[in-house]
Amino acid sequence: MKELTCEDVLMAQMAAADGEEPAFSKAQLAAHMTGCANCQNELNQLLTLDRVLAGHTLAEPHVNLWPAIENRIAKPVLSWKPFALIGLLLIIYKLLEMLPARDLGMAFKLVPLVIVTLLFVLIKENPFRINTELVMER
Amino acid sequence: MDDAEAIKRCQQGDREVFRHLVERYQKRAVAHAMAILFNRDDAEDAVQEAFIDAFKAIATFDTSRMFYPWFYVLLRNRCYKMMAGRRPTESLDEALLLDSQRGVTEDTRLALEKALHSLTREEREIVCLKYFSGLSYDDLATHLQVPRGTVMSRLFNARRRLKGKLTRVVLREQEV
Repeated sequence: MKELTCEDVLMAQMAAADGEEPAFSKAQLAAHMTGCANCQNELNQLLTLDRVLAGHTLAEPHVNLWPAIENRIAKPVLSWKPFALIGLLLIIYKLLEMLPARDLGMAFKLVPLVIVTLLFVLIKENPFRINTELVMER
Repeated sequence: MDDAEAIKRCQQGDREVFRHLVERYQKRAVAHAMAILFNRDDAEDAVQEAFIDAFKAIATFDTSRMFYPWFYVLLRNRCYKMMAGRRPTESLDEALLLDSQRGVTEDTRLALEKALHSLTREEREIVCLKYFSGLSYDDLATHLQVPRGTVMSRLFNARRRLKGKLTRVVLREQEV
């Protein structure tokens, strides 16, 4: 069996004083305590400290944080969509800029496609969605 | 309205009901933040930020659990973040940390506050939660997110250090 150190014993004694289950049996603790003057002395001091602390509570200050918190949570959360749109436009601009000077025709061909795509993004419509109502009419 | 009901309504998008949680727990939260930060203004800022964090994360909260232990984890994260990179303050804040019960002298209270101030934040936190909020070892383990064994050893070390910091006079006053 592992021999108990003073620290083991004191920790277990304080756990017992706190109403918790100590890690060692009462007999083991008592056997150590009777033969150890240091532990007896330190336990007394720790129990005195307990009494000092027991005479106090945490002061709960008067606060009213709700108005500030309400303001913060009432603010609309910034949507990522406008930033995504700006990013997309910048990428398109960069792509157009990178196109070789000779082949401007290609860039002009892409412009209407980009405009139509953006239009669908803005009106939140999916051009590939099947309109079920029309299918039913048939 | 109980907490679970309030949280369910918050999860359904009722922001106003969050007020119930703020008003119920703000004083306790500021007291706990003061125990870590030892400064009233910082404590209020940390609590405010923690409530905002709680509001943002409320959708993920499991209503079968208690609100405050969950909130406390957010609060101590905020407090620790606030303390990171800061030098420990030399002087005590003017705001009171402790209330004394009858029969306890002002000198004892001040000595105890000073001794608490000299502990590390983890030690101070565990002492305050154990003695002034009356948490059991299991509750401490939940609040601090550490195993029960760590609670025992941390609390024991904090007590030893606190005993060493308190003057003999203060301890002798209390001896029966």
